Amino acid sequence: MEELFYIQNEVLPNLLQGLWISILLIVPSASMGLLIGILVGALRVYSSGLVAVLANLYVALFRGIPLVVQLFIWYFGLPYFGIYFSPYAASVVGFSLCSGAYHSEYIRGALQSIKKGQTLAAQALGFTKLEMLRSIILPQALRRALPGCGNEIIYLIKYSSLAYMVTCIELTGKGKILAAHSFKYTEVFLIVGAFYLALVSVASLLLRHLENRLSLPGFELHKA
Amino acid sequence: MTSVRSVLQVENIRKSFGDKKILKGLSLSVEKGEVKVIIGPSGGGKSTLLQCINFLVVPDEGEVWLEGKKINHAKKRELYAYRQQVGMIFQDFNLFDHLNALENVQIGLVRVKKLHKTEARERALAELQRVGLADHVLQYPAQLSGGQKQRVSIARALAMDPKVMLLDEPTSALDPELIGEVHAVIKDLVANGMTMLMATHQIGFASVLADEIIFMEDGYIVEQGPPAKILQQAECARTKEFCAKITSPSADS
Repeated sequence: MEELFYIQNEVLPNLLQGLWISILLIVPSASMGLLIGILVGALRVYSSGLVAVLANLYVALFRGIPLVVQLFIWYFGLPYFGIYFSPYAASVVGFSLCSGAYHSEYIRGALQSIKKGQTLAAQALGFTKLEMLRSIILPQALRRALPGCGNEIIYLIKYSSLAYMVTCIELTGKGKILAAHSFKYTEVFLIVGAFYLALVSVASLLLRHLENRLSLPGFELHKA
Repeated sequence: MTSVRSVLQVENIRKSFGDKKILKGLSLSVEKGEVKVIIGPSGGGKSTLLQCINFLVVPDEGEVWLEGKKINHAKKRELYAYRQQVGMIFQDFNLFDHLNALENVQIGLVRVKKLHKTEARERALAELQRVGLADHVLQYPAQLSGGQKQRVSIARALAMDPKVMLLDEPTSALDPELIGEVHAVIKDLVANGMTMLMATHQIGFASVLADEIIFMEDGYIVEQGPPAKILQQAECARTKEFCAKITSPSADS
């Protein structure tokens, strides 16, 4: 009984606070990550020379270095060069850049899957390159990239738990503190786990809804 | 060669892909209201020539003139303005897959010509009606037959008010029973005075419409002249041979 009381009065309010911080980490990181991914993906497909090299280098670095190490560099490393990030800012920057690198792969694949005829037809009508990308290529490519990008966003929800490593106390961080205080590791982390599961489930539903809404004849999911 | 009336003039176009020379110095001109048809074996460079004319493929050498104005394709703004005036019809239609028939026709008007959306919509509807697709405006390419797709693509090109149209084997990808509806639309364009340069294997159709037939093989223009001459009394042996093959009753036309 006392246990239930503790969970109700101490654990849940604290974890809900943590959940809120997690959401504040996830939403901007997912949005910026996707934007970075679209930009970098397009640059990797359509640019050449130095720009293409830089875009590829970005992906190689941010996919190649463990996210925890990246976060440590943003938070503990940059002050050495006089650049100070708050724990929250370091986390959002780290998540966005890492997520963007992965998104860019999905976007790149989707861009490359668009048939050459689509660009030929747009060019023949007098489209500028940018206008063609905006109104012909990206609307098609994003539909094709959506399942992959959704996957990356689901991943992001879970790796947002790394923020507590740079002292941004979100859901997992709160859980760790509570558990250390009360030694109720099982109870606390079961609840933490349930919260993440709920977040991921909501995100999956939203993504499914988005996919259905954007579905067009010729772009629908083919169910075997 | 220079003609005051020529809408489109092409001078000495050359194009190679790697070591392979596709176009070996081609010149031609199309006058206002004229229909010229390019025939010749597949792989002879017909498509490449048409794509060089609006710089979808950039020629290695040569010049293109529209209404007496030389096109500098390195200047982007000039290139985009020029392409708006040259309608292009592709063998495999190339409709925008994520847009319905109406949006396919409308998008060039909105995004390129910067027309207001309602104005563009009206124009697009009129063009779709003209090609007999008033009942299909909300259908997506995946829901249209090949013949309908090609008619949408013709409407899309017409909406831009082109001064000349380039047609690259417009019926080659169609089932025989769908060819007729596309031919009817093209005939209607010709009757309305559209200037055209068309590559095709449909020799019967070409002979009815064309003011001049150009026989092209191996990157050269072998012979050109009025349909009756090219198809029945060609001077060059190779033209005769090709025409005999494609006009013989056994040929699939």
